[in-house]
Amino acid sequence: MEKKKVKVGFFSLTCCEGCEFAVLDLEEKLLKAFDYLEIVESRVLMEKIKPAAVKLDIAFVEGSVISKHDLDKLNYIREKTDFLVALGSCAAIAGINGIRNSLPEGIQERMRQKAITPVKEKAYPLSSFVKVDYILNGCSVNELEFLDFLNKVLHGVIPKLEEVPVCFECKLKGNACLLLKGILCLGPVTYAGCGALCPSQNAQCIGCRGFTKDANFDSLDNLFKEMKQSKKERFNLFTYFNPLPKELSVLKEEK
Amino acid sequence: MNYLLKKENLPKFLELLKKKFDQVIVPVKNETGATCFQPYSGQEIFLEARTDFSAKEFFRPAKEKTFSFKKKNSSYEIKPEYDTAKKVLFGVRPCGTHALNTLDELFIKFFGEDQFYSNKRKNTTIIAFQCNKACENGFCASMGTSKAIGHDLLFIERGNDFFVRAETEKGTSLLDSALFKHTSDSEYSSKINCENELDTEDIEENLFSNFNHSVWKEESERCLSCTSCTQSCPTCYCYTSNDEFVFGSDNESERFRVLDSCQLQRFTKVAGNHLFRPSREGRLRQFVLHKFSYYKKHHCIHLCVGCGRCITACPVKISLVDIANKIQKHSLEESK
Repeated sequence: MEKKKVKVGFFSLTCCEGCEFAVLDLEEKLLKAFDYLEIVESRVLMEKIKPAAVKLDIAFVEGSVISKHDLDKLNYIREKTDFLVALGSCAAIAGINGIRNSLPEGIQERMRQKAITPVKEKAYPLSSFVKVDYILNGCSVNELEFLDFLNKVLHGVIPKLEEVPVCFECKLKGNACLLLKGILCLGPVTYAGCGALCPSQNAQCIGCRGFTKDANFDSLDNLFKEMKQSKKERFNLFTYFNPLPKELSVLKEEK
Repeated sequence: MNYLLKKENLPKFLELLKKKFDQVIVPVKNETGATCFQPYSGQEIFLEARTDFSAKEFFRPAKEKTFSFKKKNSSYEIKPEYDTAKKVLFGVRPCGTHALNTLDELFIKFFGEDQFYSNKRKNTTIIAFQCNKACENGFCASMGTSKAIGHDLLFIERGNDFFVRAETEKGTSLLDSALFKHTSDSEYSSKINCENELDTEDIEENLFSNFNHSVWKEESERCLSCTSCTQSCPTCYCYTSNDEFVFGSDNESERFRVLDSCQLQRFTKVAGNHLFRPSREGRLRQFVLHKFSYYKKHHCIHLCVGCGRCITACPVKISLVDIANKIQKHSLEESK
C-alpha cells in the first residue's frame, strides 16, 4: 500500500550541527524510516540543497537564535511548517550558546563588539520567537528518543513529554548515586530521556536536557554547599546549559 | 534436615543450579559500585549486607511487556506474554522474603491472580540468607521481619561453612549433591539489634490522624523528588501502562507496564492536565502513609519491611523512621 510520505526538513541555526549527526547514528533504522519520510531540505543529509518552497509537515530546527539572520530563517521555516520541533539543547533552552547569557555584562558587551556579524543581546531558544510544537532536548539529541518521536508521529500520535528527572532513569539502571559518592550532579533537576547516559559512566549530569518544572533548586544547592563547593563552582554548574533559576539568584552576586 | 556447605564450594553450587534452572539470580556489586541482583555468570557474590537495590526487578520489572496486539483483517489478535522461565533467587535477605510475601497479598490474594506477577513468583525458587548483624538504617526488628518466610532454603553464615536448612520439598531437592554434608545441628538465632527503632503500635491510625502535622512540610522541604526511595524499595509496586507502536509496522503494537513513582509530579496527572497531588509535602506523605497506613487497612499487613533502603538511598537524608517516630511521639503526648 503506497502512502503519501511525510515531508521533513532539517534546519540549523547557530550550533555545531551535532544533533543532525546524532540522527545519522541511527543508520539502518533511519533508512527504514525513509520508507515513510521524504527529506525535503537538509544540509547534512543531502548532496545538494535547493531551498524548496513546498510546505513541510515536520521541521526539525537545531541551534539558537543569536542574530537577525537566524531569526529571519526561523520565521521563514515556521511559516511553511505544520509542526516545528526544537532539536537539541541549543534550540530548546539556548544550551551552550546560552553560556554567554550568564557571563558578567562587561564580557558580554566585548563579545558582541568582536563578533563578525551583528549579534543579538543574548542567545535565545526558538520558543522566544515562534511557537514550538515539540521539544527533543539534549546535547546532542538522543537518537533513540528521536526515533521514538518519529515512530509515534508517523502513527498519527503526538508524544507527550516525559516529566521525570534523570535520577528516575538512573535508578532504573541500578546505578550508585553520584550525590551519595560526593560528586556534584544535576540529575534531580534535569529532565530524563537520555537513559541517564552520563551518571551511568560515573560522570556528573550537567543538565543538558533542561531543568524540570518541579525542580527543588534550593535543596540541591544546599546539598552542594554541604559538599563544600564554592559559589562560583555551583553557579558554573547550574548555568552550564540553563539560565540561572531565579531561586538561586543569590549565586550571581559574587564575582 | 540440616546441612553444611563449605564456603569455597558456593560457586560450584551455583553452577549446579545453573544446570537446573533457566536463570540463577544472585546479589553482586555492579560496575557503578551499587549492589543489586543480577543473573549469575561467574561474578563475585556479594553477601556482606543487604543489597542497595532489591530483587524487585525479577518480579515487578521496571519495564514489562504484557500484551502484543496485531490487526488481522477486521479483528485483532491479542497475545499476552507470561514469563514462565524457571528461576532461582539466591541470597535474598529475610526482609526481602517478607517483601515478596507483602506483594503476594495484593497481586495474588486480593483481587485474584495477576498472572504477570504470579507466574514469575511460582516459577522462582527462593534461597534466603539469614543476616547475622544489623544493616545500615535497617529496622527489621521493629517490623518483625528479621526471620525469613516463604522460602525454600535458608543459608546461614557460620565460620567457614554455610549452615543450610531446607524448608520445602522444592528446597530439599536442590541439596541432592555431594557438596552438602549432613549435620545434626539445628540451632540458629535470628535476633538482630537494629540501630533504628520504630514504634509500630497504632501507627496506621496515628499517622492518618496527623495528616496535617507540621513534620510533613518540614521534611519534604528538602526532598529532591529524585525517586531514589521508591525505586530502591522492595515493595513499591506502582506502575503505569504504555502502548508502543512497533517501528516500521502499521498494524502491530505492544503494551508495557512501566514502573512509576509517587514522588513524581506526573504520577497524579489526570485528564485535562490536572494534578491532584502537586506539592512535595503531599507526595512524601503519600509514600509514608501508603507504607504504614493505607496498605495495612486494606491488606492487614504493613507495606514496609524495615530494610532501610529508602533511608540509605536518599541524597538529602529524609528518613521515614524519623517522620513516623516524630508523629508517634506526638500522638503519645496528646493521649496523655
